[in-house]
Amino acid sequence: MPLKTVATLEVQRLEILSPDGTVDEKLLPKVSNDLLLEMYRLMFQIRAFDERAIMLQRQGRLGTYPMITGQEATQCVPPLLLRKTDWCVPTYRGGGVYFARGMQMRYALLYWAGDDRGTHFPDGNKDMMFSIPVGTHLTQVAGLAWGEKFKGKGGVAVTYCGDGTSSKGDLHEALTFAGQFKLPVIYVIENNGWAISVPRRRQAASQTLAQKAWGYGVKGLQVDGNDALAVYKAMSEAVSRARKGEGPTLLECETYRMSHHTTADDATRYRDAKEVEAWKKRDPIARLKLFLEKRKLWDAKKEKALAAETVKWIDGEIRAYEETPAPNPLNMFADNYDRAPWHLVEQRMELEELLKFKGGAKILMELPPTEGRFP
Amino acid sequence: MSKTMAKPAAVRTLNLVQAVNEALDLAMGADERVMILGEDVGRNGGVFRATDGLWKKYGDDRVVDTPLAEIGIMGSAIGLAVNGMRPVAEIQFDGFMPSVFDQVVCHLGRIRSRSRGQLSVPLVLRAPHGGLIHAPEHHSESPEAYFCHTPGIKVVIPSTPYDAKGLLLAAIEDPDPVVFFEPKLLYRSATGEVPSGRYTVPLGKARLVQEGTDLTIVTWGAMTVTCQKAAEKLKAEDGASVEILDLRTLTPLDLDAVLASTGKTGRVVIAHEAPNTGSWAAELSALIAERNLLRLLAPIQRVGGWDVRMPLFRLEQYYIPDADRVVMAARKALRF
Repeated sequence: MPLKTVATLEVQRLEILSPDGTVDEKLLPKVSNDLLLEMYRLMFQIRAFDERAIMLQRQGRLGTYPMITGQEATQCVPPLLLRKTDWCVPTYRGGGVYFARGMQMRYALLYWAGDDRGTHFPDGNKDMMFSIPVGTHLTQVAGLAWGEKFKGKGGVAVTYCGDGTSSKGDLHEALTFAGQFKLPVIYVIENNGWAISVPRRRQAASQTLAQKAWGYGVKGLQVDGNDALAVYKAMSEAVSRARKGEGPTLLECETYRMSHHTTADDATRYRDAKEVEAWKKRDPIARLKLFLEKRKLWDAKKEKALAAETVKWIDGEIRAYEETPAPNPLNMFADNYDRAPWHLVEQRMELEELLKFKGGAKILMELPPTEGRFP
Repeated sequence: MSKTMAKPAAVRTLNLVQAVNEALDLAMGADERVMILGEDVGRNGGVFRATDGLWKKYGDDRVVDTPLAEIGIMGSAIGLAVNGMRPVAEIQFDGFMPSVFDQVVCHLGRIRSRSRGQLSVPLVLRAPHGGLIHAPEHHSESPEAYFCHTPGIKVVIPSTPYDAKGLLLAAIEDPDPVVFFEPKLLYRSATGEVPSGRYTVPLGKARLVQEGTDLTIVTWGAMTVTCQKAAEKLKAEDGASVEILDLRTLTPLDLDAVLASTGKTGRVVIAHEAPNTGSWAAELSALIAERNLLRLLAPIQRVGGWDVRMPLFRLEQYYIPDADRVVMAARKALRF
C-alpha cells in the first residue's frame, strides 16, 4: 500500500496593522472608535505604570517586580472581549491583563511588595491568581471552562502562559482536556521570546508554538502580538467560537520582553542589544497610535492630556499603596480553612506570645487590626 | 618537579555560592561524565550564579540550558544517570520542586531496588532552599521533609562554604541519588575558609557547631546561624551552655551524634524552617524519644514554621523562626 497523507497542518499568522501604520483593510475587524481609544488608553497607562513600578523597585520601595513593557497589546486587548463573569487568569507578568479587567493597581504594588493583601480582584470579576510555578494553572483553567460548559450560559475561560511554559507538560494535559471535552477555553501563549535567559528557539524545535494546538484537536493561530488589532480580531473569533460551543482555541501571540525578566535579572548577560533595538520598531503602542492619528482619532493635545491624567492616576495608586498600614502578623492564620483546626488556634497563640516577647505586653493593642477570617 | 605532585591547597575566604561553583568546576574537570542541566544554568550562570563561568569553560553540551520543564529535567537526569553519566540537575527554586515529585517518588529512589541492584541513579538534584531573602511567592520554601520521606535517596543541606564544597563533591561522587539543598540566605552572607583543591565532607555525618552541657539544639541549613545567635543570647542572659548540632545530611541521619549529644544534655530543641507537622523535626523528635527517653530532662521542643503556607515576604520574619523563638523554646526546656 502506498503511503497516504492522513493529516496536514497549515499554520496561519494574523497581522493587520504593520509597524509603519499601514492596514490590511480586508482583515480589519469591526471596532468602535471608543473601543480603539480604550485600547490605547489601557496600553499607554500600563506602560507608564510599569516604568514607575520599576523606579519604585530601584528606590527600594517595592520588591522584585516583573516588567510588562512591550507586551501591552497581548495583555490589554483580550480582556476587552470578556464579560466580568468570564474567567481570566494571566501570568505573573500579567499586570496589563488585571488592569484591563479593572483591577486597582495599588493592589499589584502591594503584592510585589510582599503583602498578601495585594491579591484583590474587583467585585463580581471571575479572576484567579496567577501561578508562579509556571503553567500549573493551565489544567485548572480547563476545569474552569468545563464548569462554564456545565452551566450552559455561554461563559468562557481565558488564560495565558509564556513561550517557556509551553515546554511544560501542563500545557499538553490542558490542551488534551480542552480538545477532548470541547471546552470553552482560550489559551493565549504570550510568546515574548525569552524565558529568563533562554530564547524561544531553545524551548521547542517546532517551527511555531501555535501548531502545538493541532495535536490535541484544538484550533491554533499565530498572531502578531504587538498588533492590537490582530490580537483583537483573533481573540474576538476565539471567544465567539467558545461561547457557541465550538471548542477551544490556542493563540500564539508573538511579542517581546523589552526589559529584564524581573528587576532581579540582568538581561545584558545573555541577550544581544541589537535584538532589543529591532523590536523597538515593532512597539505595540506606537503602532496603534499611528493608526489612530491616521484616522484623526488622536493628536498631540489628546496625548498630552492622557499623559497628565496618567501621572495623576499613578501618583494616587502609589500613595494608596504606600499609605496602607503594615499587615498584622496574625493575618497569616486567617483563611486557611473554613474552620480553623486546633493546631492553628494553638500556633496563633504562640505567635501572640512571640510578639509580646519582642514588644512587651501592650504590643497586641498597638498592632493594626487583623484582617481575614479566623473562626 | 613531577607533574603529578599535588600543589598544597591554598585556603581562601569564599562565600557559599562560590564554594558550590568551585565544587562543580572541580567535579567537571576531574570527570567528564559530570554534566549540569537546568533552567538558566548555562549562559546566564544560574539565577544565583552558582554555575557562573562553567558554560564558557565546559561548553554547551555539558552545561545545558534546558527548556522550561522541570519534569523533563528530572526525568532526563535519571535516564542520563542510569546510562552512565553523572548529571547534576538544578531546579531553580525550592517552590518549583513539587512538579518533579512523580519522578522522585515513583522512580528516583526505587530504580536500584526495582532492578535488584542492576541499575543505579548516581545523580545530584540541586535546589536553593528556605526564606528570608524577600523573594516572591514560591521562592522561599523548605520542602526537605517530602524528600526525606522518600526511600532510596539522600538529602543534604550545608550551612558553611567549607561544607558546601566538600558535601557537594561527596554527593556527586556518591553512587546513589542525592538531593542537595543550598540555603539561599547563606549564598552570600555565609563566608568562610575553603581549601582550593578537592576534598570531601562525608555524607551522613553531623557537624558539632559548638559544645555545651545544658541543652542541645539540633538544626540544619540557614537555621544553624539563627541558632548560634540564640545560643549567644542564652549564654549571656541565662548563663546556659548550649550545644549545637548541624545535621548537614538529613538522610541518612547521623543518629549516633544526635543521641550522644541529647543524651549528654538531656534537653533538646529542634529548629528548622518548615512547618512542624510531618516534618523532619517530627522524625528526629520521635527517634530521640524512642531511644533516649530515660536521659531526657524535659519535653523535646520543636521550633518550625507555622502550619500555614509561607506568607509573602512582609511577614516572613514572623513565619520562619528567629533567634527569639529558639530562645523561648530553649527556656521552656531549661526551666522545665
